[in-house]
Amino acid sequence: MARYGMVIDLKRCYGCYSCVLGCKQANCTPPGVFWSRVLRGEMGAYPNSVRQALPVLCMQCAEPDCMKVCPTGATYQTDDGIVRVDKDKCIGCKYCMMACPYGARYTVPEYKSYFPEGLPISDYEKYCMKVWEEKRGCGVATKCDFCIDRRAEGKEPACVQVCPAKARVFGDLDDTESEISYLIKTKRGFVLRPEVGTEPKVYYLPPR
Amino acid sequence: MGSPKLEGQVQTEWRWIIAAYLFLAGVGGGAYLAGVVADFAGGAAWTTVSKIGVFLGMPCVLIGCLFLLGDLGRPINSWRVWMKPGTSWMARGTIIIVLFMLFATIQSAFWIWPFPGSIENARGVIAVLGAIFAFLTVVYTGLLLGYSQPISLWRTALLPVLFFVSAVSTGIMAIVLIGRYFEVDAAQLALLARIDAAILILEMFVVVVFLYNAYRTLESRFSAKRILAGPISPGFWLGVVACGLVVPFFLELFGGEGIAAGLSAVLGLFGGLCLRYVILAAGTLDPMVAAGFEFARVARPKDPMPAMGKLPPG
Repeated sequence: MARYGMVIDLKRCYGCYSCVLGCKQANCTPPGVFWSRVLRGEMGAYPNSVRQALPVLCMQCAEPDCMKVCPTGATYQTDDGIVRVDKDKCIGCKYCMMACPYGARYTVPEYKSYFPEGLPISDYEKYCMKVWEEKRGCGVATKCDFCIDRRAEGKEPACVQVCPAKARVFGDLDDTESEISYLIKTKRGFVLRPEVGTEPKVYYLPPR
Repeated sequence: MGSPKLEGQVQTEWRWIIAAYLFLAGVGGGAYLAGVVADFAGGAAWTTVSKIGVFLGMPCVLIGCLFLLGDLGRPINSWRVWMKPGTSWMARGTIIIVLFMLFATIQSAFWIWPFPGSIENARGVIAVLGAIFAFLTVVYTGLLLGYSQPISLWRTALLPVLFFVSAVSTGIMAIVLIGRYFEVDAAQLALLARIDAAILILEMFVVVVFLYNAYRTLESRFSAKRILAGPISPGFWLGVVACGLVVPFFLELFGGEGIAAGLSAVLGLFGGLCLRYVILAAGTLDPMVAAGFEFARVARPKDPMPAMGKLPPG
């Protein structure tokens, strides 16, 4: 069975937020929900400082804390290691949002329009609301699942496809011949917050 | 390394509703514990005090549970919390509070309808079981918050201690407040106030140690600063320190009976609510560190486009 993972090359990423928007379009997420985000960091003090962008998403941990704390078993892992939420079992207690070391989970009480109240809702937004209600649901925890629908069609996750710098590589970690395994091995791949022990499957390549 | 001014992302999911639950569970559990202790230690003379404590247990926790239900995103699914016991403190906690309410109800029933002879002896067993679950009701919330990986303010063993001490003190205050209307002996109320003053000293100590620990830990220093000098510092200094600890302490020691005792109890209860809220609202996600850079997490904006929030006039 495949064990899907992702590599994000921080040397290539220039923080354009394409992944954020690509994710939003592909998954019809409501306002305030960012399964794919870009964090900003700075090293050093003013004359000798360097800025760096850090794109983050759900790390699809092998030992997910969000799954451990879920009181109803709504959070589960698929055979290929993707952590998903069963919206019919989730009670919306938000405990997983407190437990996730990467802040990757989101919930909204209702799908509010992106546009000011009083304006008519566009057909596209109506479609998005329908998709959201069918697949994710309001009031329950939602998260990235490496674009499970797009992968079923044979496409890459949206954030990988839209990245103009080709900073993201998606692939099978178990396949030693794959590009992702090669990059992690040869380019000093590391994970975020390894001390937590969740064994994330999104790897980063150092910015220098 | 990293910018020293970096500010963390404040958690916004658990606020007043959860604080109200934590407070009510604390008052209920604490009052029940105090009632059982009064029953065992004081004997027949303390029956009224003991009754008030035991009777307070169930309703307080039940109202708290309604707050919990109100916070759920899908309350219809809430029965599922029973399907997987032992998965987490959330699931264990619901079992704990339901068992506590069960024992507290049985215990109350013993007072209302005195059972004959041998069954009456079972009251002691039920009281001990109820006390154990009252203790767990108060303490598990601290463990629940403590499991949060990214919020290092909560990730400490001091939180259950703080919640327990605060629960006992607010529970006794609730008994003192209600006891005035149920013809409790004035000397007994005065003694309760003295005991509560001693517990308040302990609570002050735990609060100081908790904040010192939070400040000394690099990750949670921002949370500690938020409590001491940040946007929620009024809630801490006025609500927790003044209303919850210092004023009740002096009123209980030197205020005597009458209006001062009632005032100290009301202020103390308000302080207990503020304490829960301050701890929840100060919870800040630790900055992410990668390759020598420190990354602040982007806030989860409630209104993503505040500039577009209102229609232009006309």
